[in-house]
This record gives sequence, structure tokens and C-alpha cells, in this order.
Amino acid sequence: MKILYSRLLETINSKLKIENLCDDLTMIGIEVDGIESFQGDKVIDFDLTPNRGDCFSVRGLARDYCAFKNQKFSTSRSVPFKGRHKFEKSIRLSAADACSAYSAISISNLKIKKKFPENIKKSLNASGIQSIHPLVDIVNFVMLESGQPMHVFDQDKINGNIEVRFAKPKETIKILGEKELKLTSDCLVIADEKEPIAFAGISGGLKHSVSKKTKNFIIESAFFSPSIIKGKARMYGFQTDASQRFERGVDFELHEEALKDVISIIQDIFESDISKIETKKNKYFPKKKIIGISLKDIEQKLGMPIKETTLLSILKRLEIKLLKKTKSTFNFEVPSHRFDLSIKEDLIEEIARMIGYDNLSQIKSDPVSQNYETSEYNFLNAIKVFMKNKGFLEVINYSFLDAKVLENLNIVEESISLKNPLNNSLSTLRTSLLPSLAESLEFNLNREQNYLKLFEIGKTFSKKNPKESLNLAALLFDSEKMKNWNSSQNLDFYHLKGIIEDLATEFRLSDLSWKKTTNDLLHPYASADIFQKNKKIGSVGSLNPRYLKTMDLAKPFYYLELKIDSLHRKNLEKLVSSSIYPTSQRDFSFEVDKDISYEEIENCIRSASESYLQSLRIFDVYAGKNIAQDKKSIAFRITWGSNKKTLSEDDINNETSLIISGLEKELNAILR
Amino acid sequence: MDLDALKADLEKDFLEINSQEVLNILKVKYLGKKGHISELSKNIKNLSKKDRPEFGKTIGELRKLCEEKIFAAQEQIEVNSINESLEKERIDITLPGSYKSQGKLHPLTVTTLKITDFFSAQGYLIEDGPEIESAYYNFDALNIPLDHPARDMHDTFYLDNGDLLRTHTSPVQIRAIEKRGAPLKIICPGKVYRSDADKTHTPMFHQIEGLVISENVNFGHLKNEIMTFIDFLFGPDTKVRFRPSYFPFTEPSAEVDIMDKKTKQWLEIMGCGLVHPNVIDMAGLDPNQFSGFAFGMGIERMAKLLYEIEDMRSLFTNDIKFLSQ
Repeated sequence: MKILYSRLLETINSKLKIENLCDDLTMIGIEVDGIESFQGDKVIDFDLTPNRGDCFSVRGLARDYCAFKNQKFSTSRSVPFKGRHKFEKSIRLSAADACSAYSAISISNLKIKKKFPENIKKSLNASGIQSIHPLVDIVNFVMLESGQPMHVFDQDKINGNIEVRFAKPKETIKILGEKELKLTSDCLVIADEKEPIAFAGISGGLKHSVSKKTKNFIIESAFFSPSIIKGKARMYGFQTDASQRFERGVDFELHEEALKDVISIIQDIFESDISKIETKKNKYFPKKKIIGISLKDIEQKLGMPIKETTLLSILKRLEIKLLKKTKSTFNFEVPSHRFDLSIKEDLIEEIARMIGYDNLSQIKSDPVSQNYETSEYNFLNAIKVFMKNKGFLEVINYSFLDAKVLENLNIVEESISLKNPLNNSLSTLRTSLLPSLAESLEFNLNREQNYLKLFEIGKTFSKKNPKESLNLAALLFDSEKMKNWNSSQNLDFYHLKGIIEDLATEFRLSDLSWKKTTNDLLHPYASADIFQKNKKIGSVGSLNPRYLKTMDLAKPFYYLELKIDSLHRKNLEKLVSSSIYPTSQRDFSFEVDKDISYEEIENCIRSASESYLQSLRIFDVYAGKNIAQDKKSIAFRITWGSNKKTLSEDDINNETSLIISGLEKELNAILR
Repeated sequence: MDLDALKADLEKDFLEINSQEVLNILKVKYLGKKGHISELSKNIKNLSKKDRPEFGKTIGELRKLCEEKIFAAQEQIEVNSINESLEKERIDITLPGSYKSQGKLHPLTVTTLKITDFFSAQGYLIEDGPEIESAYYNFDALNIPLDHPARDMHDTFYLDNGDLLRTHTSPVQIRAIEKRGAPLKIICPGKVYRSDADKTHTPMFHQIEGLVISENVNFGHLKNEIMTFIDFLFGPDTKVRFRPSYFPFTEPSAEVDIMDKKTKQWLEIMGCGLVHPNVIDMAGLDPNQFSGFAFGMGIERMAKLLYEIEDMRSLFTNDIKFLSQ
């Protein structure tokens, strides 16, 4: 809401500098969004919280300011008015508490007697309200000053009497701004005998609005219940000055007073014929709320005692009236402009607000001591630190992306799309972290980066249960095989697999196994699915080359994605002392068929060995020169040991021959 | 050869020895079976009984001197030889390390960790909840009914089934109270979503939210917790102010500002307040028995202050040049 600085100053009867005024208002919860220069004056843009409907006007702001400063606030009551003739239409209130009070006047024979005041136009312009018609301008000016929205109709376009009622089925209204609205049965309308003439409390109907040609006018000023206005305009995708005020709550004792303000301005500027004020009220007209509170209640919430005199003086300044005082409870009556005060906590906030939050005490004791418990969050962070230490850079991508990206990768199935995305490129929740990391890769490739190790931890989403899965994904890309000057490590499948194995060691993930992948995103023969016991927890490998074009990449990247929210972690295990007897080692090199996997060889060795085998470490795999085309050479070191004795030469020879004959028999291996 | 001449020779010979070979020759020359000292000591029989002890003593001293010289020379030769080989093993220490294996955590993670570390140490449990939420947990249970104007402040992303992407981490408060009851002390970091995008807003961002529920929790406790936290995060000389604000789920509500040390402007850093009795009630506790406070802040804003980041969006473009700084 934009308000002219000079109007505010005049109303609080002060010469305060704008910065000081804004600081004071900020400290009582009226936030200033900005200050702009305006025609030699200043405009203050307020960012009002939705609870403070009472501050949606010059007088409302001034009232709260004066309460804070303990300064007299004079509401200049309007001059009494007696119209010469009766308001000719009858008014019917048929919507119970939705509209419990409605006032109107009719005006005719309007003749200007002096220049229309510039200050009214200036106020309107400053607040961003267009000047339309002198009467509409006056009504809007009074709204800015008092907070009461009103509406001007062209009387000659209204058929018969006026009724405030809910919309009938299929009823529509074209509002100012040419928008045709299909009304629902919970929409309140002002209607004549034929059709709705206004969307009550929100906007007038276009057909019944005033124009330059209008001769006879009706001005409405009513009380509409906030609950009936709330969210209505928003439902149709707009809001108006009236709807913003009514949905927060407009002083229910204001509608007639505001109308009198309008009349006195009209009489000042125009010769006119104004009817008596016609007011209809029904039994639903609100009563002032009563809140009971004790000094103990206040101390309990604020953590400091408040004196009775302080309490009474503060609330009096806020026009909150003491009705009754019993032994410990005070009953206060909430003024008609404060819709936000209904429970004692609300009054406690008012007291705190007037004392100043910075003047409330600070209590250096901890109200809760809680038992320590490790959280899953610690695990997640430990994984992040682990990945960082493995040389990966953490990225964070949006959880949503273009559905097309998922379609192109055939992972759109069971995906969840947003009903109201910001745009198409952010329309669908990701089902895998791969497209996000690929996008980060592409972004950086376009910036001359050709060596990337990225990771992300984030959720993926699916219609299936569970809907959310927390995943770790990592991407390796090294387009130039950038070798370090002093090392020859390849950034490939085995690099990533090694990281998962280290991860398993670090976090005691037991029973991991590796199987040929079924993940279509990955290379079918150079990737693996990872299982913990029988549960698939992720995959690792290189991108299936068929997606290179889709992703606009020249070379594939290596990738891993693991579900980390359901991993099984072993407890700490007993530490066993090492054997005091020395171990023995021997190196072997075998030639085997190319298709034989390492797993087969290891299993064969372990079953061939009788006992004492402690570790098996592979140190070379070779195919090429000096090896037959369909063969490969594989070299490993075996360590034997016992915790009962030093192994003899015979023990080792026996083991060695068992292993050699086992490999020869089972896998046709040849010792080299 | 007499004693003095031998001693003079000895001193001269041991002046400079640069190889093991020379030393070996000298060893034989002086201490060998037919070496000078042995030869000279044979002269003892030509001496009178009276002179013999004196001569014997002198010879002994000479032998000792010779042995010491040999020992020192031996040491020197070894030192020289190590020094020589060290020289040959000289490397270029200005070459970079073999394998630079240190990655980096995202600035938002670093910021979150800073904050969660603080609150963990104060005894807060770290809790999380789903990112796809029901309107009940995101709004209704937090005292934000359907027609509440506060829903306007949350530009919500909806799903087809009526669920939504949480617009704040506050639903975790309700889930935690339902799960754990009171007393309770939790901190919940996480992603939140709002349909908003410009220089200061991204459609996804991160919040961290704290909740303390017990009997007799008051505003003084809240103030103390926030002040201690700000001292920790921004330094003990940070100017802080609390001002009234509005959140449907707290009453009284406050906004906390800190004074920017450079620009001398107030910066809004977090919202907080005493938990609204309706919220306590809806989560299944008796608001007459339990009270509490809650606070929440945007992690991007904290990161922006700690790292002096200009454009919030740069946190999500994942430019490795930016991230690996």
C-alpha cells in the first residue's frame, strides 16, 4: 500500500523526518518496503502483514503510531448531515452475516462550484489509483484516508431495488477491466431486480458503473464479512483495493462515518442534491469481542512481569477498553477495527509491541534438555564430506525439470508433474538425479571445463511408493584423459566402483553385490546394478552411448546413483588382535579365457584353498601382446597366515598346488 | 722414527681424508701389525726400566688419538656420502601434488552445517520431513486455513492430486510433535518451493527451522536462543533488533534484523515467535500445558551474508568455477 508522506504527517500532527517515521513504524510491525519521491513529496510503500487490516489507511497508520508514541490521536469526526429527501430504493440484506450492514445515498443534479482539489488527485496518484470520475475519486480518497472501500453506481442503470445476496447458479458478472466472471454460489453480489451489479466488496460491475454521461448516482458503503471476501478475488486471479481491505477486515463501525466524509467533500466542491443516508442492518451485525487476560498470563508468555498500570495504559492507548476486572482477570473489549485480536496471546503481542520487543528481557536458561540421538541427517552429511574428500564438487540442482528431458531418457514413467509450474522447463519432478547432473556437466563443458567430478544428494520423486527417495549421484567426466603429471589413474568405472567400496567400508554397509545392469540409461556391458542383500540400491557405469546425442555430448560420462535413505548399516564390530605369527605371500599369474570374470576366479581360489588364506589382491589384468587373442592374463598376490603357528614351507606349497590345480580344472587356467 | 715425528705425521695424514680407500690405507699405516705405532712400541725394550712406563703411556695416548681420528674420519666419510646421494635425489618441490583429491561442499551445505552444528550442540535433534506435503501439514495445521490471506504470501506449487511442494519447513514441526510429543527441541533444515523467480528468489530454496516445546517456554527464552545464535554466526559485536511481525503459526511473532557492518543497513534474517496455541492444539498437545517457540530462516540469505554472494541464482547454476572457489 502506497501512502503520501505529507498526508501521514498531517494526520499524526508531526514534523517527523521520513526516516525516523519509517523506523518507528517498522518497530511496531508496520514494515516499509520503500520510499519514492513524488511530485515534491514522498510516497511510502508499506508491506502490511495480512493481520493488520486496520492499518490499511492513512488514519489507521496514524492511530497505531500515536498509540505507540502515547500521543493523542484525534479522529476528526465528520459534520452531521441531514439529506433533504429519502433514498428511493429499498435495500434488502439476504446473505445473513456476509453483509450485515449496508448504507447508501443517492446524488443528483451535480454541479461543480470550485476547482476539483489537487490534493485529492495527488493522493490517488501517489497510491496508484487512477482518476476516473470526480465522485469515484472522492470515494477512493476517503478510502485511502479511512480504510472504508465504497462504490459509486449509475443509478439510472439499476433496475428497481437493491439486494445483497449470494450469486445464483450460472450467474456471471463483467467487472471493471472487462473481465467476465462465472460466479459460484459462495460469491456475494449486490444485485438489482435483474442481475448482479457488483461483486460485493471486490469490484463493481462494468454495466452499472459511472461514466461522464451519468446524471444520477448511488454511493454504497457497507460492511462485508472478511470470511466471505477472503480468497475470492484471488480465486479469479486478481485483487482490488477493496478486496485487499475487506478480506483483512474493515472497521464495522465505519461505513456510515465514511459516507459522511464523502458527503462533506462533495458538498464542498459541488452543488448537488443528496438523499438521506439509508442504512440497513441485520441481526448478524458483529459485536465487539471480549478477551480475558491475567497479569500471570502475560508474565508466562513474555518471561517478565508487567504492572497493572502499564497493562491498562498500553491497552487504553490502543483503544482496547477495560470492561470488567475480577480478582485476577481483566476483561477487555476489542475495538471494531481490530479483527486480528481474539485470544489472549494477541493481547500479549500488543503489549510486547508497545513496550518494544527490544525492551523485553532475555532469559539465559534452557527450557528443554533433551537426550542425545543421532539423526539420519548426520549420515547424509558424513556422506557429503566423504564425497568431497574423494575429490567431488557438490552441486545443487532444482528438483523439477522439463518433462521432455525425462521423456527423452525414457524415465518419465510414474513421474509427478506440477499443476502450476513456473514454466515448461520446470514442470516435472525429477525421477533420477542423472538429468540434473548431466545439465551441470553441459553447463560447464560450454565454459571450457573438460574435467569434472560432481556429486549431488537430493530427492527423486515418483508416483509409486515411496514417493520420495533420497539419492546420492556422482558424475565423472574427463574428456581429454587428463593425466596428472605423476599418476596414471583412470577416471572410469573402476574409479567409481572403488568409491562405492570405500563408502561401504566407511559406513559399514554390508552385503553389497554387483550384477549386470538393467538400467537403460547406462552401458549394458560396462555398468553394474548394486544390491544390498536382495535389494537394488543403485547403479554405476558409463552413460549408454545412445543418449549421447540427446544430451549433446561427444563422449559419455561415468555415473553412479545410490539410494541412501534405506541403506543397512552394521553396528560397530569387535576389533580382533592380529596374529603374532608371520604371514606368507606368493604372487601368481594365470592366463584364462577373456570371458571369465574376476568373481569366478576369486570364488574358485577361495574354494580350492583349504585353509590359512587371508587375502587375495589382484594387481594386474592384461590382454594384448604375448597373450592369445581370446585370453587374458591375470595376476594376484595371495597371503596366508594362521593365528596358531608359523606356516611351514609345506603348508604353503600344499595351498599353492591346490589353488593351481583348482584354477586349471575349473577354469582352464594356465599358470604363466 | 721418534714419537714426536710420528705424532706430527699422524696429524698431517688425517687433515684431509675424502675416501674410504685412503682411510683404510691410513688404518694399516698406523694401527696395522706392522704399522708405525706397533713398530715404535717395539723400542720399549731398549729403554731403561725407569723410562718404560712413561714411554708406554705416551704410546697408549698416541694409539688412542689415532683411533679417535679414524673414528671421526669414518663418520665424516659417511656423512659426505649421504650428502652426496641426497643431492642426487633432489626433486622439484614446486611441482603440484600428484593427485589433487579434495572436492568442495556447496556453499549452502557449508552454511547449513554451520547452523545445524550450533543447534546440535545446544541439544536440538535434527529432523526432516517430506518435500511433497499435504495442504493439511503445510497450511491447515499451521493455522493457515484455506481462505487465509497468508496463503497469498506463499506462491504454492500444486500437484494434480491436491498435494503440494512444501512452501516452508514448518510442516516438520507438526510431524515432529505428532511423532515425539513434548518436551521437544528440534531443528529442521530442508528444501522448500515457491513459484517465484527473480534476482532474489529462486523457485527452490532452503530453510532451516527450529522448534522448542515444553511447559513454560516464553519470549525471553526465544530471545536468548536467537541472540546466542547470532553471536555465533555473525560475531558477538553484531547489532540485533526484534520487531513485531505476523505469522499465522506464532503469536506474538517477530522478525529479527541484524545491522550490516558495511552498509549500516538493517537486514532481515529470520522470523520467529511463540507457537500459536491453535498449532499446539492441532498437533495434539494441550496449549494450556505446553508452550513453545519457533524460528526459521532462509539458508540462501545466510549464505549470501556469510559469502557476500550477489546473485542468489548463482547458487543453483552449478558453475564449477564459482563452486570450487
